[in-house]
Amino acid sequence: MTQSDIADRAAAAPQTAVISVTDAGIRYRRNRRARRNFKDLFSARARKTRPGEFWALRHVTFDVQPGEAIGVVGRNGQGKSTLLKLVAEVVLPDEGRVGVRGGVAPLIEITGGFVNDLSVRENVFLTAGLHGMKRSEIESQFDEIIEFAEIGDFLDTPYKHLSSGMKVRIAFAVVSRLEEPIILVDEVLAVGDRAFKEKCYNRIEELLAGGRTLFIVSHSEKDLRRFCTRGLYLDKGQLVLDAPIAEVLERYNAEYGVK
Amino acid sequence: MTVALPERGARSPLARYWHSLRLLATRDLRVRYSTSFLGYFWSILDPLVMAGIYWFVFTQVFDRSVGAQPYIVFLLSALLPWTWFTGAVSDTTRAFIKEAKLVRSTKIPRTIWVVSLVMSKGIEFVASLPVLAFFVIIGGAAVNPDLLLFPLAIAIQAILTVGIGLIVAPLVVFFRDLERAVKLGLRFLFYASPIIYGVTDLPQWLHFWASFNPLSGIFSIYRSAFFSDQLDWSMVLISAAMSIVILCIGMLVFKRTIRSVLKEI
Repeated sequence: MTQSDIADRAAAAPQTAVISVTDAGIRYRRNRRARRNFKDLFSARARKTRPGEFWALRHVTFDVQPGEAIGVVGRNGQGKSTLLKLVAEVVLPDEGRVGVRGGVAPLIEITGGFVNDLSVRENVFLTAGLHGMKRSEIESQFDEIIEFAEIGDFLDTPYKHLSSGMKVRIAFAVVSRLEEPIILVDEVLAVGDRAFKEKCYNRIEELLAGGRTLFIVSHSEKDLRRFCTRGLYLDKGQLVLDAPIAEVLERYNAEYGVK
Repeated sequence: MTVALPERGARSPLARYWHSLRLLATRDLRVRYSTSFLGYFWSILDPLVMAGIYWFVFTQVFDRSVGAQPYIVFLLSALLPWTWFTGAVSDTTRAFIKEAKLVRSTKIPRTIWVVSLVMSKGIEFVASLPVLAFFVIIGGAAVNPDLLLFPLAIAIQAILTVGIGLIVAPLVVFFRDLERAVKLGLRFLFYASPIIYGVTDLPQWLHFWASFNPLSGIFSIYRSAFFSDQLDWSMVLISAAMSIVILCIGMLVFKRTIRSVLKEI
Protein backbone atom coordinates (compact mmCIF):
# COMPACT_ATOMS: atom_id res chain seq x y z
CA MET A 1 0.00 0.00 0.00
CA THR A 2 1.51 3.32 -1.04
CA GLN A 3 1.39 6.56 0.88
CA SER A 4 -1.19 8.07 -1.45
CA ASP A 5 -3.44 5.02 -1.07
CA ILE A 6 -3.34 5.47 2.64
CA ALA A 7 -4.15 9.14 2.35
CA ASP A 8 -7.09 8.34 0.06
CA ARG A 9 -8.36 5.75 2.44
CA ALA A 10 -8.05 8.01 5.42
CA ALA A 11 -10.05 10.62 3.61
CA ALA A 12 -12.68 8.12 2.52
CA ALA A 13 -13.03 6.33 5.84
CA PRO A 14 -16.17 7.41 7.57
CA GLN A 15 -15.71 9.01 10.93
CA THR A 16 -17.85 6.37 12.57
CA ALA A 17 -15.22 3.62 12.68
CA VAL A 18 -14.70 2.41 16.23
CA ILE A 19 -11.33 0.89 15.48
CA SER A 20 -9.16 2.41 12.84
CA VAL A 21 -5.73 0.93 12.23
CA THR A 22 -3.60 2.75 9.70
CA ASP A 23 -0.32 1.34 8.40
CA ALA A 24 0.49 0.05 11.87
CA GLY A 25 3.70 -1.80 12.57
CA ILE A 26 5.37 -3.08 15.69
CA ARG A 27 8.85 -4.42 16.09
CA TYR A 28 10.23 -6.82 18.65
CA ARG A 29 13.71 -7.95 19.51
CA ARG A 30 14.55 -11.41 18.34
CA ASN A 31 16.58 -12.42 21.36
CA ARG A 32 16.90 -11.12 24.86
CA ARG A 33 20.64 -10.86 24.74
CA ALA A 34 20.67 -8.43 21.86
CA ARG A 35 22.67 -5.48 22.96
CA ARG A 36 20.61 -2.66 24.12
CA ASN A 37 22.01 0.74 24.82
CA PHE A 38 20.71 4.01 26.05
CA LYS A 39 20.73 5.53 22.61
CA ASP A 40 18.41 2.86 21.22
CA LEU A 41 16.11 3.16 24.14
CA PHE A 42 15.59 6.85 23.78
CA SER A 43 15.41 7.14 20.02
CA ALA A 44 11.75 7.93 19.73
CA ARG A 45 10.50 6.11 16.66
CA ALA A 46 13.39 5.22 14.38
CA ARG A 47 11.97 3.57 11.30
CA LYS A 48 15.16 1.73 10.55
CA THR A 49 15.13 -1.93 11.55
CA ARG A 50 18.10 -2.63 13.75
CA PRO A 51 19.90 -5.95 13.67
CA GLY A 52 18.29 -8.54 15.90
CA GLU A 53 14.83 -7.08 15.50
CA PHE A 54 11.88 -8.18 13.44
CA TRP A 55 8.52 -6.74 12.56
CA ALA A 56 5.80 -8.73 14.28
CA LEU A 57 3.28 -6.73 12.29
CA ARG A 58 3.77 -4.22 9.53
CA HIS A 59 1.64 -2.19 7.13
CA VAL A 60 -1.58 -3.33 8.70
CA THR A 61 -4.55 -1.21 7.75
CA PHE A 62 -8.23 -1.75 8.42
CA ASP A 63 -11.31 -0.09 9.89
CA VAL A 64 -13.99 -1.60 12.03
CA GLN A 65 -17.53 -0.26 12.12
CA PRO A 66 -19.63 -0.43 15.27
CA GLY A 67 -21.35 -3.76 15.72
CA GLU A 68 -19.04 -5.74 13.48
CA ALA A 69 -17.73 -9.11 14.64
CA ILE A 70 -14.24 -9.77 13.42
CA GLY A 71 -12.24 -12.97 13.61
CA VAL A 72 -8.48 -12.95 13.30
CA VAL A 73 -7.04 -16.01 11.60
CA GLY A 74 -3.48 -17.16 11.10
CA ARG A 75 -0.91 -19.68 12.20
CA ASN A 76 0.96 -19.44 15.47
CA GLY A 77 3.36 -16.53 15.66
CA GLN A 78 1.95 -14.58 12.75
CA GLY A 79 0.96 -11.59 14.85
CA LYS A 80 -2.62 -12.34 15.87
CA SER A 81 -2.23 -11.69 19.57
CA THR A 82 0.01 -8.73 18.89
CA LEU A 83 -2.75 -7.22 16.78
CA LEU A 84 -5.20 -7.75 19.62
CA LYS A 85 -2.85 -6.08 22.07
CA LEU A 86 -2.46 -3.13 19.73
CA VAL A 87 -6.22 -2.73 19.57
CA ALA A 88 -6.43 -3.05 23.36
CA GLU A 89 -3.75 -0.34 23.47
CA VAL A 90 -1.64 -2.28 25.93
CA VAL A 91 1.27 -2.01 23.50
CA LEU A 92 1.96 0.95 21.25
CA PRO A 93 2.80 0.78 17.54
CA ASP A 94 6.29 1.72 16.33
CA GLU A 95 4.87 3.13 13.14
CA GLY A 96 1.48 4.01 11.80
CA ARG A 97 -1.38 4.55 14.18
CA VAL A 98 -4.07 2.68 16.02
CA GLY A 99 -7.17 4.62 16.89
CA VAL A 100 -9.79 3.18 19.18
CA ARG A 101 -12.92 5.16 19.93
CA GLY A 102 -14.76 4.10 22.99
CA GLY A 103 -13.75 1.75 25.75
CA VAL A 104 -12.46 -1.75 25.38
CA ALA A 105 -13.26 -4.81 27.47
CA PRO A 106 -10.17 -6.93 26.95
CA LEU A 107 -10.61 -10.64 27.60
CA ILE A 108 -6.84 -10.94 27.41
CA GLU A 109 -4.95 -12.34 30.38
CA ILE A 110 -8.18 -11.83 32.25
CA THR A 111 -6.88 -13.22 35.51
CA GLY A 112 -3.95 -10.78 35.44
CA GLY A 113 -5.48 -8.15 37.67
CA PHE A 114 -6.53 -10.52 40.43
CA VAL A 115 -4.56 -10.45 43.63
CA ASN A 116 -3.90 -13.76 45.35
CA ASP A 117 -4.10 -12.49 48.90
CA LEU A 118 -7.38 -10.62 48.59
CA SER A 119 -10.83 -12.16 48.75
CA VAL A 120 -13.01 -12.77 45.71
CA ARG A 121 -15.24 -9.86 46.70
CA GLU A 122 -12.34 -7.42 46.97
CA ASN A 123 -10.92 -8.68 43.70
CA VAL A 124 -14.17 -8.09 41.83
CA PHE A 125 -14.26 -4.48 42.97
CA LEU A 126 -10.59 -3.99 42.21
CA THR A 127 -10.57 -5.45 38.70
CA ALA A 128 -13.85 -3.93 37.59
CA GLY A 129 -12.68 -0.62 39.03
CA LEU A 130 -9.38 -0.72 37.18
CA HIS A 131 -11.26 -1.32 33.97
CA GLY A 132 -13.17 1.88 34.61
CA MET A 133 -16.39 0.83 36.35
CA LYS A 134 -17.68 3.07 39.08
CA ARG A 135 -18.33 1.67 42.51
CA SER A 136 -22.06 2.14 42.19
CA GLU A 137 -22.07 0.34 38.84
CA ILE A 138 -20.17 -2.58 40.31
CA GLU A 139 -22.48 -2.79 43.29
CA SER A 140 -25.54 -2.98 41.09
CA GLN A 141 -23.99 -5.73 38.97
CA PHE A 142 -22.25 -7.60 41.73
CA ASP A 143 -24.88 -10.29 42.25
CA GLU A 144 -25.13 -11.00 38.55
CA ILE A 145 -21.36 -11.34 38.29
CA ILE A 146 -21.23 -13.80 41.16
CA GLU A 147 -24.18 -15.74 39.85
CA PHE A 148 -22.65 -15.95 36.40
CA ALA A 149 -19.39 -17.27 37.83
CA GLU A 150 -21.29 -19.74 40.08
CA ILE A 151 -19.02 -18.82 42.91
CA GLY A 152 -21.46 -17.61 45.59
CA ASP A 153 -20.01 -19.77 48.37
CA PHE A 154 -16.50 -18.43 47.96
CA LEU A 155 -17.03 -14.68 48.22
CA ASP A 156 -14.67 -14.26 51.14
CA THR A 157 -12.17 -16.90 50.14
CA PRO A 158 -8.74 -15.59 49.20
CA TYR A 159 -8.39 -15.71 45.44
CA LYS A 160 -5.40 -18.02 45.63
CA HIS A 161 -7.50 -20.79 47.17
CA LEU A 162 -9.85 -21.00 44.20
CA SER A 163 -9.43 -23.77 41.65
CA SER A 164 -7.98 -22.67 38.35
CA GLY A 165 -11.36 -23.14 36.68
CA MET A 166 -13.06 -20.89 39.20
CA LYS A 167 -10.38 -18.26 38.74
CA VAL A 168 -11.08 -18.02 35.05
CA ARG A 169 -14.83 -18.08 35.64
CA ILE A 170 -14.86 -15.13 37.99
CA ALA A 171 -12.45 -13.24 35.76
CA PHE A 172 -14.59 -13.80 32.69
CA ALA A 173 -17.69 -12.84 34.63
CA VAL A 174 -16.14 -9.51 35.64
CA VAL A 175 -14.58 -8.50 32.34
CA SER A 176 -17.59 -9.53 30.24
CA ARG A 177 -19.72 -7.30 32.50
CA LEU A 178 -17.85 -4.16 31.55
CA GLU A 179 -20.17 -1.83 29.74
CA GLU A 180 -17.71 -1.16 26.96
CA PRO A 181 -18.59 -0.98 23.28
CA ILE A 182 -15.65 -3.11 22.12
CA ILE A 183 -14.85 -6.63 23.30
CA LEU A 184 -11.56 -8.33 22.59
CA VAL A 185 -11.30 -12.08 23.04
CA ASP A 186 -8.02 -13.96 22.93
CA GLU A 187 -8.61 -17.69 23.18
CA VAL A 188 -9.55 -17.43 26.84
CA LEU A 189 -12.51 -19.61 26.11
CA ALA A 190 -10.32 -22.65 25.74
CA VAL A 191 -10.58 -23.17 29.50
CA GLY A 192 -13.42 -24.09 31.79
CA ASP A 193 -15.79 -27.02 31.54
CA ARG A 194 -18.19 -27.42 28.68
CA ALA A 195 -21.22 -26.01 30.45
CA PHE A 196 -19.39 -22.85 31.42
CA LYS A 197 -17.92 -22.51 27.97
CA GLU A 198 -21.41 -22.60 26.50
CA LYS A 199 -22.44 -19.95 28.99
CA CYS A 200 -19.57 -17.75 27.87
CA TYR A 201 -20.58 -18.20 24.25
CA ASN A 202 -24.12 -17.23 25.06
CA ARG A 203 -22.88 -14.20 26.90
CA ILE A 204 -20.79 -13.14 23.92
CA GLU A 205 -23.79 -13.58 21.64
CA GLU A 206 -25.88 -11.48 24.00
CA LEU A 207 -23.26 -8.76 23.88
CA LEU A 208 -23.14 -8.92 20.11
CA ALA A 209 -26.92 -8.68 19.95
CA GLY A 210 -26.62 -5.63 22.17
CA GLY A 211 -24.61 -3.88 19.48
CA ARG A 212 -21.09 -4.43 20.76
CA THR A 213 -18.12 -4.76 18.48
CA LEU A 214 -16.30 -8.06 18.79
CA PHE A 215 -12.69 -8.74 17.94
CA ILE A 216 -11.74 -12.36 18.43
CA VAL A 217 -8.61 -14.44 17.96
CA SER A 218 -9.24 -18.15 17.70
CA HIS A 219 -8.05 -21.35 16.11
CA SER A 220 -11.49 -22.87 16.31
CA GLU A 221 -13.21 -22.65 12.96
CA LYS A 222 -16.50 -23.45 14.63
CA ASP A 223 -16.27 -20.48 16.99
CA LEU A 224 -15.22 -18.15 14.25
CA ARG A 225 -18.11 -19.12 12.04
CA ARG A 226 -20.51 -18.85 14.95
CA PHE A 227 -19.64 -15.30 15.95
CA CYS A 228 -17.91 -13.53 13.12
CA THR A 229 -19.02 -11.93 9.94
CA ARG A 230 -15.68 -10.66 8.77
CA GLY A 231 -12.22 -12.20 8.93
CA LEU A 232 -8.70 -10.84 8.97
CA TYR A 233 -6.03 -13.27 7.78
CA LEU A 234 -2.54 -12.56 9.08
CA ASP A 235 0.54 -14.20 7.66
CA LYS A 236 4.16 -13.29 8.39
CA GLY A 237 3.11 -10.08 10.06
CA GLN A 238 1.12 -8.86 7.09
CA LEU A 239 -2.60 -8.55 6.65
CA VAL A 240 -3.05 -10.69 3.57
CA LEU A 241 -6.81 -10.88 3.39
CA ASP A 242 -9.67 -8.82 4.79
CA ALA A 243 -12.93 -10.42 3.67
CA PRO A 244 -16.07 -12.19 4.88
CA ILE A 245 -15.18 -14.89 7.38
CA ALA A 246 -16.08 -17.83 5.09
CA GLU A 247 -13.74 -16.58 2.40
CA VAL A 248 -10.93 -16.01 4.88
CA LEU A 249 -11.27 -19.47 6.39
CA GLU A 250 -11.33 -21.01 2.93
CA ARG A 251 -8.08 -19.30 1.98
CA TYR A 252 -6.48 -20.20 5.30
CA ASN A 253 -7.47 -23.84 4.93
CA ALA A 254 -6.24 -23.90 1.37
CA GLU A 255 -2.84 -22.63 2.43
CA TYR A 256 -2.30 -24.31 5.76
CA GLY A 257 -5.23 -26.62 6.39
CA VAL A 258 -4.92 -30.33 6.90
CA LYS A 259 -5.76 -31.93 3.62
CA MET B 1 -32.08 -10.53 28.85
CA THR B 2 -31.23 -7.53 26.81
CA VAL B 3 -27.83 -6.00 26.89
CA ALA B 4 -28.33 -2.65 25.29
CA LEU B 5 -25.47 -0.21 25.54
CA PRO B 6 -26.31 1.86 28.57
CA GLU B 7 -25.68 5.53 28.79
CA ARG B 8 -22.72 6.08 31.04
CA GLY B 9 -21.86 9.23 32.82
CA ALA B 10 -18.77 10.43 31.01
CA ARG B 11 -15.79 10.75 33.27
CA SER B 12 -12.91 13.05 32.61
CA PRO B 13 -9.46 11.50 32.11
CA LEU B 14 -8.32 13.13 35.31
CA ALA B 15 -11.15 11.59 37.29
CA ARG B 16 -10.32 8.19 35.82
CA TYR B 17 -6.66 8.65 36.67
CA TRP B 18 -7.51 9.51 40.25
CA HIS B 19 -9.97 6.62 40.47
CA SER B 20 -7.41 4.04 39.30
CA LEU B 21 -4.72 5.57 41.46
CA ARG B 22 -6.85 5.28 44.56
CA LEU B 23 -7.82 1.71 43.78
CA LEU B 24 -4.22 0.60 43.37
CA ALA B 25 -2.90 2.45 46.38
CA THR B 26 -5.60 1.04 48.65
CA ARG B 27 -5.03 -2.40 47.14
CA ASP B 28 -1.35 -2.23 48.08
CA LEU B 29 -2.21 -1.24 51.62
CA ARG B 30 -4.94 -3.84 51.92
CA VAL B 31 -2.62 -6.60 50.73
CA ARG B 32 0.06 -5.52 53.14
CA TYR B 33 -2.31 -5.44 56.09
CA SER B 34 -4.36 -8.51 55.30
CA THR B 35 -1.35 -10.80 55.05
CA SER B 36 0.54 -9.81 58.15
CA PHE B 37 -0.51 -10.09 61.73
CA LEU B 38 1.06 -6.86 62.93
CA GLY B 39 -0.12 -4.95 59.86
CA TYR B 40 0.13 -1.24 60.50
CA PHE B 41 2.80 -1.69 63.15
CA TRP B 42 5.33 -2.92 60.63
CA SER B 43 5.31 0.42 58.87
CA ILE B 44 6.20 2.24 62.09
CA LEU B 45 8.33 -0.50 63.61
CA ASP B 46 11.07 -0.15 61.04
CA PRO B 47 11.77 3.56 61.57
CA LEU B 48 11.20 3.12 65.29
CA VAL B 49 13.84 0.42 65.64
CA MET B 50 16.27 2.46 63.55
CA ALA B 51 15.60 5.53 65.66
CA GLY B 52 16.09 3.45 68.80
CA ILE B 53 19.47 2.21 67.59
CA TYR B 54 20.75 5.65 66.63
CA TRP B 55 19.40 7.18 69.80
CA PHE B 56 21.26 4.55 71.84
CA VAL B 57 24.50 4.84 69.91
CA PHE B 58 24.60 8.61 69.83
CA THR B 59 23.31 9.48 73.26
CA GLN B 60 24.31 6.52 75.42
CA VAL B 61 27.50 5.20 73.81
CA PHE B 62 28.99 8.34 72.30
CA ASP B 63 28.54 11.85 73.45
CA ARG B 64 26.23 13.38 70.94
CA SER B 65 27.64 16.49 69.33
CA VAL B 66 25.13 16.72 66.46
CA GLY B 67 21.43 17.36 66.23
CA ALA B 68 19.37 18.87 68.99
CA GLN B 69 17.59 18.00 72.18
CA PRO B 70 15.39 15.88 72.40
CA TYR B 71 17.43 13.79 70.00
CA ILE B 72 14.75 11.13 69.48
CA VAL B 73 12.37 13.75 68.08
CA PHE B 74 15.21 15.15 65.98
CA LEU B 75 15.84 11.67 64.58
CA LEU B 76 12.24 10.66 63.97
CA SER B 77 11.28 13.91 62.27
CA ALA B 78 13.63 12.95 59.43
CA LEU B 79 13.57 9.16 59.72
CA LEU B 80 9.84 8.84 59.13
CA PRO B 81 9.91 10.80 55.85
CA TRP B 82 13.09 8.96 54.92
CA THR B 83 11.22 5.66 55.38
CA TRP B 84 8.62 6.92 52.91
CA PHE B 85 11.27 7.99 50.43
CA THR B 86 13.39 4.86 50.56
CA GLY B 87 10.39 2.51 50.62
CA ALA B 88 8.78 4.16 47.61
CA VAL B 89 11.98 4.37 45.56
CA SER B 90 12.91 0.76 46.16
CA ASP B 91 9.33 -0.32 45.38
CA THR B 92 9.39 1.53 42.07
CA THR B 93 12.36 -0.54 40.94
CA ARG B 94 9.92 -3.44 40.80
CA ALA B 95 6.90 -1.45 39.60
CA PHE B 96 6.64 -3.06 36.18
CA ILE B 97 8.13 -6.44 36.99
CA LYS B 98 5.71 -7.14 39.80
CA GLU B 99 2.65 -5.88 37.96
CA ALA B 100 3.60 -7.29 34.56
CA LYS B 101 0.36 -9.22 34.09
CA LEU B 102 -1.82 -6.29 34.98
CA VAL B 103 0.18 -3.86 32.87
CA ARG B 104 -0.21 -6.23 29.93
CA SER B 105 -3.98 -6.35 30.23
CA THR B 106 -5.20 -2.90 31.26
CA LYS B 107 -4.67 0.37 29.53
CA ILE B 108 -4.77 2.81 32.42
CA PRO B 109 -2.17 5.60 32.09
CA ARG B 110 1.12 3.88 32.89
CA THR B 111 2.48 6.54 35.20
CA ILE B 112 -0.10 5.25 37.69
CA TRP B 113 2.10 2.23 38.35
CA VAL B 114 4.75 4.54 39.80
CA VAL B 115 2.52 7.17 41.37
CA SER B 116 0.39 4.60 43.21
CA LEU B 117 3.47 3.18 44.93
CA VAL B 118 4.56 6.62 46.07
CA MET B 119 1.05 7.28 47.25
CA SER B 120 0.61 4.09 49.27
CA LYS B 121 3.94 4.66 51.02
CA GLY B 122 2.93 8.28 51.53
CA ILE B 123 -0.27 7.20 53.24
CA GLU B 124 1.77 4.98 55.53
CA PHE B 125 3.99 7.95 56.30
CA VAL B 126 1.05 10.13 57.27
CA ALA B 127 -0.33 7.24 59.33
CA SER B 128 2.99 7.05 61.20
CA LEU B 129 2.93 10.70 62.26
CA PRO B 130 1.10 9.95 65.54
CA VAL B 131 4.28 8.14 66.62
CA LEU B 132 6.19 11.37 66.12
CA ALA B 133 3.54 13.24 68.07
CA PHE B 134 3.87 10.72 70.87
CA PHE B 135 7.61 11.29 71.20
CA VAL B 136 7.18 15.04 70.91
CA ILE B 137 4.93 14.93 73.96
CA ILE B 138 7.11 12.45 75.87
CA GLY B 139 10.32 14.29 75.01
CA GLY B 140 8.80 17.65 75.75
CA ALA B 141 9.84 19.20 72.44
CA ALA B 142 8.60 22.68 71.71
CA VAL B 143 6.23 22.86 68.74
CA ASN B 144 6.24 26.05 66.71
CA PRO B 145 4.03 27.38 63.89
CA ASP B 146 6.37 25.94 61.25
CA LEU B 147 4.38 22.78 61.80
CA LEU B 148 1.95 24.25 59.30
CA LEU B 149 4.63 23.79 56.62
CA PHE B 150 4.29 19.99 56.77
CA PRO B 151 2.01 19.85 53.70
CA LEU B 152 4.61 21.82 51.74
CA ALA B 153 7.31 19.31 52.67
CA ILE B 154 5.00 16.42 51.78
CA ALA B 155 4.25 18.00 48.41
CA ILE B 156 7.91 18.55 47.53
CA GLN B 157 8.82 15.07 48.68
CA ALA B 158 6.00 13.52 46.61
CA ILE B 159 7.19 15.40 43.51
CA LEU B 160 10.77 14.30 44.08
CA THR B 161 9.89 10.66 44.74
CA VAL B 162 7.57 10.39 41.75
CA GLY B 163 10.27 11.96 39.58
CA ILE B 164 12.88 9.45 40.67
CA GLY B 165 10.38 6.61 40.31
CA LEU B 166 9.55 7.63 36.75
CA ILE B 167 13.25 7.44 35.89
CA VAL B 168 14.03 4.23 37.73
CA ALA B 169 10.93 2.11 36.99
CA PRO B 170 11.25 1.85 33.18
CA LEU B 171 15.04 1.63 33.17
CA VAL B 172 15.10 -1.33 35.56
CA VAL B 173 13.11 -3.32 33.01
CA PHE B 174 16.09 -3.15 30.66
CA PHE B 175 18.95 -2.98 33.11
CA ARG B 176 18.18 -5.30 35.99
CA ASP B 177 21.48 -4.35 37.66
CA LEU B 178 19.92 -1.00 38.35
CA GLU B 179 17.76 -2.57 41.04
CA ARG B 180 20.77 -3.34 43.18
CA ALA B 181 22.48 -0.10 42.25
CA VAL B 182 19.47 1.79 43.54
CA LYS B 183 19.60 -0.11 46.83
CA LEU B 184 23.23 0.81 47.24
CA GLY B 185 22.53 4.39 46.27
CA LEU B 186 19.79 4.62 48.88
CA ARG B 187 22.09 3.35 51.60
CA PHE B 188 24.65 5.96 50.64
CA LEU B 189 22.01 8.64 50.54
CA PHE B 190 20.90 7.77 54.06
CA TYR B 191 24.21 8.95 55.46
CA ALA B 192 24.56 11.72 52.91
CA SER B 193 21.26 13.26 53.99
CA PRO B 194 20.65 15.18 57.20
CA ILE B 195 18.90 12.42 59.14
CA ILE B 196 21.15 11.49 62.06
CA TYR B 197 22.67 14.95 61.89
CA GLY B 198 21.50 18.37 60.76
CA VAL B 199 22.95 20.38 57.89
CA THR B 200 24.27 22.91 60.40
CA ASP B 201 26.47 20.17 61.88
CA LEU B 202 28.35 19.79 58.61
CA PRO B 203 31.65 21.58 58.06
CA GLN B 204 31.19 24.92 56.34
CA TRP B 205 32.57 23.81 52.97
CA LEU B 206 29.99 21.02 52.73
CA HIS B 207 26.96 23.28 53.24
CA PHE B 208 26.92 24.27 49.61
CA TRP B 209 26.93 20.68 48.39
CA ALA B 210 24.47 19.47 50.99
CA SER B 211 21.89 21.94 49.75
CA PHE B 212 21.97 20.23 46.38
CA ASN B 213 20.64 17.08 47.98
CA PRO B 214 16.92 17.73 47.57
CA LEU B 215 16.23 15.80 50.75
CA SER B 216 18.12 18.39 52.83
CA GLY B 217 15.58 21.08 52.15
CA ILE B 218 12.64 18.74 52.61
CA PHE B 219 13.85 17.38 55.95
CA SER B 220 14.69 20.87 57.15
CA ILE B 221 11.01 21.79 56.77
CA TYR B 222 9.83 18.78 58.76
CA ARG B 223 12.39 19.50 61.45
CA SER B 224 11.65 23.19 61.69
CA ALA B 225 8.35 22.33 63.38
CA PHE B 226 10.30 21.36 66.50
CA PHE B 227 13.70 22.98 65.94
CA SER B 228 13.15 26.37 64.34
CA ASP B 229 16.84 26.92 63.63
CA GLN B 230 16.77 24.05 61.14
CA LEU B 231 14.72 25.90 58.54
CA ASP B 232 16.77 27.33 55.71
CA TRP B 233 14.63 28.84 52.96
CA SER B 234 17.40 28.93 50.36
CA MET B 235 17.84 25.20 50.83
CA VAL B 236 14.08 24.63 50.57
CA LEU B 237 14.01 26.65 47.36
CA ILE B 238 16.86 24.65 45.85
CA SER B 239 15.27 21.33 46.75
CA ALA B 240 11.88 22.40 45.38
CA ALA B 241 13.50 23.47 42.13
CA MET B 242 15.52 20.27 41.90
CA SER B 243 12.48 18.15 42.63
CA ILE B 244 10.58 19.79 39.79
CA VAL B 245 13.54 19.36 37.44
CA ILE B 246 13.80 15.68 38.41
CA LEU B 247 10.07 15.24 37.83
CA CYS B 248 10.42 16.77 34.35
CA ILE B 249 13.36 14.50 33.53
CA GLY B 250 11.36 11.58 34.87
CA MET B 251 8.37 12.34 32.67
CA LEU B 252 10.63 12.67 29.66
CA VAL B 253 12.45 9.39 30.35
CA PHE B 254 9.15 7.65 31.02
CA LYS B 255 7.55 8.92 27.84
CA ARG B 256 10.50 7.93 25.70
CA THR B 257 10.92 4.45 27.13
CA ILE B 258 7.36 3.31 27.83
CA ARG B 259 6.91 1.94 24.29
CA SER B 260 9.83 -0.44 24.78
CA VAL B 261 8.83 -1.25 28.35
CA LEU B 262 5.41 -2.46 27.23
CA LYS B 263 7.01 -4.77 24.70
CA GLU B 264 9.55 -6.10 27.13
CA ILE B 265 7.33 -7.14 30.01
